Amino acid sequence: MNDAARRWATDPLLPSLGFGCVALVAAASWPVLTWAMIGGLAGYSLSGSV
Amino acid sequence: MLWLFSGLFAPLPSDSRYGAILAIAVVAVLRDAGVAPFASIPLPQNRRQVPQDVLQRDLPRGAARFGFELGTGVRTFVSATAPYVVAVALLLANEGPLVALLTGLGFGLGRAATPLLRYASGAGEPWDERLRTRLRAITVSASGLSAVAFLVLAG
Repeated sequence: MNDAARRWATDPLLPSLGFGCVALVAAASWPVLTWAMIGGLAGYSLSGSV
Repeated sequence: MLWLFSGLFAPLPSDSRYGAILAIAVVAVLRDAGVAPFASIPLPQNRRQVPQDVLQRDLPRGAARFGFELGTGVRTFVSATAPYVVAVALLLANEGPLVALLTGLGFGLGRAATPLLRYASGAGEPWDERLRTRLRAITVSASGLSAVAFLVLAG
């Protein structure tokens, strides 16, 4: 993987978008998965804390 | 724990419970976006860091203690509102133990994503700088996307 692709693939915003997209897509059919993704969003939002 | 206490709210109509969740989620978005006066709402937390010497004295036990104190919030800085929204949502929604369990697992996955992504970047300090510039977007999107998801779940 070249540097540009690696940089894109590891962008810090990517997990937020990933968790969010899955949460919204799953909401109609798999609400349990939506809850898990909401948990993921909350966990990742603490990236700036220790 | 939250699921256990959620039964206390079960007698309330589902619309009311999800309405409260949505209202809190909207306040969280405004707070994380820095909108006054919501930006000044304090978050309950024990603003102390786990001492680094816990890792130096005994690494395996220290790492377990570090993870426990950080993960349970005994000693940590909380920089986002979304975790509190999720906690309140689990308390009010009364959706069942599987939902509570998977939400907790998802939370752990989210916490793990930061060091994993940093490691995968192959350039820790530049990645840290990129994270720093995106933190506001991350926290606002967490509470915002959660609010939209709760809106769909309530529907």
